[in-house]
Amino acid sequence: MKYELVSGLETHVELSTNTKIFCGCTTDFGGEQNTHCCPICIGLPGTLPKLNEKVVDYAIMAGLATNCEISHISKMDRKNYCYPDLPKAYQISQFDMPLCKNGYIALSNGRKIGITRIHIEEDAGKLVHQRGNTYVDYNRGGVPLIEIVSEPDIRSIDEAREYVEKLQMIMRYIGVSDCKMQEGSLRCDVNISLRPIGSVEFGTRTEIKNMNSFTYMTKAMEYEVSRQAELLDEGKEVTQETLRYIVEENRTESMRGKEDANDYRYFREPDLVTIEVSQEKIDRFKAMLPELPDAKFTRYVNELGIPEADAGLLVKYRRVAEYFEKAMEGTANPKVAANCIIGQIFRRVENETEKEAFDIALPAEYLRDLILLLDGGKIKMNLLKSTLEKMLDQGKPATDFIKEEDMGGIDTDTLRQLCTDAIAANPNAVADYLGGKEKALKSLLGFVMKNSRGRADAVEAEKLLIEMVSASK
Amino acid sequence: MVTREDVLQMARLSKLYIKEEELDALTRDMDNIIAFAETISAAQCEQTDFDNISNLSNVLREDVVLPSYSREEILKNAESQDEGYFLVKKRS
Ligand SMILES: [Zn+2]
Repeated sequence: MKYELVSGLETHVELSTNTKIFCGCTTDFGGEQNTHCCPICIGLPGTLPKLNEKVVDYAIMAGLATNCEISHISKMDRKNYCYPDLPKAYQISQFDMPLCKNGYIALSNGRKIGITRIHIEEDAGKLVHQRGNTYVDYNRGGVPLIEIVSEPDIRSIDEAREYVEKLQMIMRYIGVSDCKMQEGSLRCDVNISLRPIGSVEFGTRTEIKNMNSFTYMTKAMEYEVSRQAELLDEGKEVTQETLRYIVEENRTESMRGKEDANDYRYFREPDLVTIEVSQEKIDRFKAMLPELPDAKFTRYVNELGIPEADAGLLVKYRRVAEYFEKAMEGTANPKVAANCIIGQIFRRVENETEKEAFDIALPAEYLRDLILLLDGGKIKMNLLKSTLEKMLDQGKPATDFIKEEDMGGIDTDTLRQLCTDAIAANPNAVADYLGGKEKALKSLLGFVMKNSRGRADAVEAEKLLIEMVSASK
Repeated sequence: MVTREDVLQMARLSKLYIKEEELDALTRDMDNIIAFAETISAAQCEQTDFDNISNLSNVLREDVVLPSYSREEILKNAESQDEGYFLVKKRS
């Protein structure tokens, strides 16, 4: 039988505040074990938590950026469970009055994935299991998280992936999290159920915990979908359970069944007071939001004429988009700046982390000045490209590499003379070309470009060379 | 009414072991405890927002880093520790 996937995601995003949610300990990643701790975050008796205002602010921004309503009144609750990663035996979270609710993320296929709620909570400590013992590091305990809960609106693994990618992009744009999956600052629990195509009722779902890479999330979902489909095909039932994905064996394994489901005994956190958010604050934050990737994408495509694929690459990282916008400002055709960034600069920032940081030696203004030389007819495209490489190597402006006399290109007579010289100096290449080796023309062209010190227009020169070589036959 | 199954489930969630012969007595006790607590529900009162009797809101702190405690200090009260970690020993 053919089935349709029904999936919803719970995404945990670590907020990039300086301090933990209820104490002044640092949130820095990677410190030595148990060195970012105090009596509050290790839950010693007699301590009182105090909420970090930045956590509330960041959660509001996350909510506004994902089209949520912001609650004027919300509160914190205790979620009780007993495990060594929680020193207090409860996690301070939000239960029935989350800070944000009823939002959505729009996908590229036009579908909207509903966001049920976004709430704030504290992260747990890290456990290392060794030789049957458990070693506990509470540095991460108390680091602020937002949990973004989606509606079960996701219908394919691609949609799940795009949803998480969009969340990641948005959270990075608004600067509330670095969303590094490999460091655990973005992780997802994925709910999965299948139903016969055309059916309205949901099937029994399972939940895969703690996916912290796109690759594993895709693989785990593929595995789980085919496992459930096989069960249903055999007329068996899917058991409602919580699963963990075993990377090495590419399979899921049960962590606990429905009957073992925790009863968290939520109740209001008596040590923390009500969170009130005024309309004035919501309006102020709304006005402060930067242009988000979707809006940028639409503007680049519709107003700047950037092809969709390129626009997608430019908006993916906020710093790249900002660099592009500075470099194209006042230039005749935004595509030139786009091509310089995608075709040349991207070759120097290969991985995702480097693109995210986009820390390149060349100020965007220098690139703009170079493009303005092209706009003014002072240089040709090929000279622009070769000069840009030199500028990127040394971080210096165009005028350091192009002399005044090189600007202005060359006239047709000079170009014709250069071509004549090239033909005379390279009889072998001419013979090869006439013999059918089209590539031989490249060495003639190279000769012309070199002797023109890059001023010649490569397209014109090539046309002229073909014409002259063919005529010499 | 609290059932024997309820008590077993609670015991399981709290990781307690209960002997079969204790079960009836515990079920009765638990039922009494709940009945006792329910007298509170019967009380009449004006104030409805018991969740927020302090009527306070937005007691917040600035996002400024304060020094953490030394690891020695943090681990001082731990029952067992190893290499700077809290150690939860294997149950034997
Ligand atoms: Zn602390």
